[in-house]
Amino acid sequence: MPPRRLHASRPFLVLGLLLAGWFLVPTVIKRALGISFFELQAPVHLAASHVRDLQDFWSLRTRSSHDLIAAGRDLARLNASYEVTLQQTETLRREVARLEALLRMPTLPGYRSEPARVARRDFNAWWQRLTVRKGRNYGIVLGSPVIFGGGVVGKVTEVHAYTAVVDLISSPTLRLAATLEGDTRPLSFQGANNPAFGPARGIVDYVPTDASASEFSPRRIVTSGLGGVFPAGLLIGEIVRLETSTDGLFKTGEVRLDNRLSELTEVTVLVPERRD
Amino acid sequence: MRRTVVFFLTQFLLWALVSQANHELTPWGIALFLGGLFVGLSALTFDRREALVGAFAAGFLHDVGTPLPFGTHALAFAAAVVFIQHVRHRLNRHEGLVTVMVILITNLGLFLVISAVALRLLPDADRLTSRVFSDLIASQIVLALVSPWFLALQTQALRLGGCATSPETAAHG
Repeated sequence: MPPRRLHASRPFLVLGLLLAGWFLVPTVIKRALGISFFELQAPVHLAASHVRDLQDFWSLRTRSSHDLIAAGRDLARLNASYEVTLQQTETLRREVARLEALLRMPTLPGYRSEPARVARRDFNAWWQRLTVRKGRNYGIVLGSPVIFGGGVVGKVTEVHAYTAVVDLISSPTLRLAATLEGDTRPLSFQGANNPAFGPARGIVDYVPTDASASEFSPRRIVTSGLGGVFPAGLLIGEIVRLETSTDGLFKTGEVRLDNRLSELTEVTVLVPERRD
Repeated sequence: MRRTVVFFLTQFLLWALVSQANHELTPWGIALFLGGLFVGLSALTFDRREALVGAFAAGFLHDVGTPLPFGTHALAFAAAVVFIQHVRHRLNRHEGLVTVMVILITNLGLFLVISAVALRLLPDADRLTSRVFSDLIASQIVLALVSPWFLALQTQALRLGGCATSPETAAHG
């Protein structure tokens, strides 16, 4: 009977109206709603992150003074080697500035390093993202490159009041220009499948046909500096497999990423310096 | 109104716990998706308006911080509520096992819908299917284990908040 059928289909009519209504809602309202919900969640991530820091602190307090002395000695050695590296870097920087002035070249983009603690890791089949404990309050800007001791971490894709969201290089949503270490020809890197219980992987395209790599003799790839987001020379990963692409013009392959990417607790955001 | 607020607080607690669990699980390459648990109880016991409000609130919690278009989870959760409410009169919804089964099936459906949307937006999506499958299995196992606890927590929270757990109980007392 028509009235009964109408009654039965009413919930779906409501759903259809909701769908239509949602598409008609202005973007400004959706954006405001998104920001409100993000800022509602942010204190939970930050509080949990601070609690983890506190746990680490108290677990470290249980260490003996022997461990502390050994760690201090190791740190002193590291600091000494870093001091030397810093002096060499300063000399090279001055040399670059002198050559730039001499050849009247435009200066390379500069970055301010902003270390940030990781508040949340969200790695699933669909995307790999980090939330860091610094946002607009520390001048983080959209698109800033993010690095750690093992190379590139990713790129800032959302900036909020006190937090920022970073897309990892293992995420299929991120693609960047790279080169083989010691080579200048550009190739394309993209995050790929991140298998369960295994290290993250990436894929490379447009690799020159004369390049070779295997599991036993991997080739390191670094950022190319093209595109203006990442500075050149930052380590991305190692190519462990290469095969000729279907068109035969290039090679495609698999990249092994740093295992530590899945356990990051601290990263450095490179905030581009403004040139006025 | 009070019931909606209390219900949202329990959803928020679950969301916080799941996001912390996912944070700790990253070194193992496993992620949990418990979307079905956010809408199960409300879809089975609440009236349509309240259940939809709950679905949208839970959906928005999931939507922020993802690369998907804002509202994807919210609309998927709302659709799940409508489907469950359409068939709930045929189910013995006061039976715990039935509720858990509904939640498991709903979670499976939501996971597949979100996967379809997410993978459509990604290049080379076919490379990701093995991980999608392992995440789905892990999620369903955890869901089966935690559903009875969370349903009891939601029911208790509603009782403590002085709210009826279902329209029937509201009518009776």
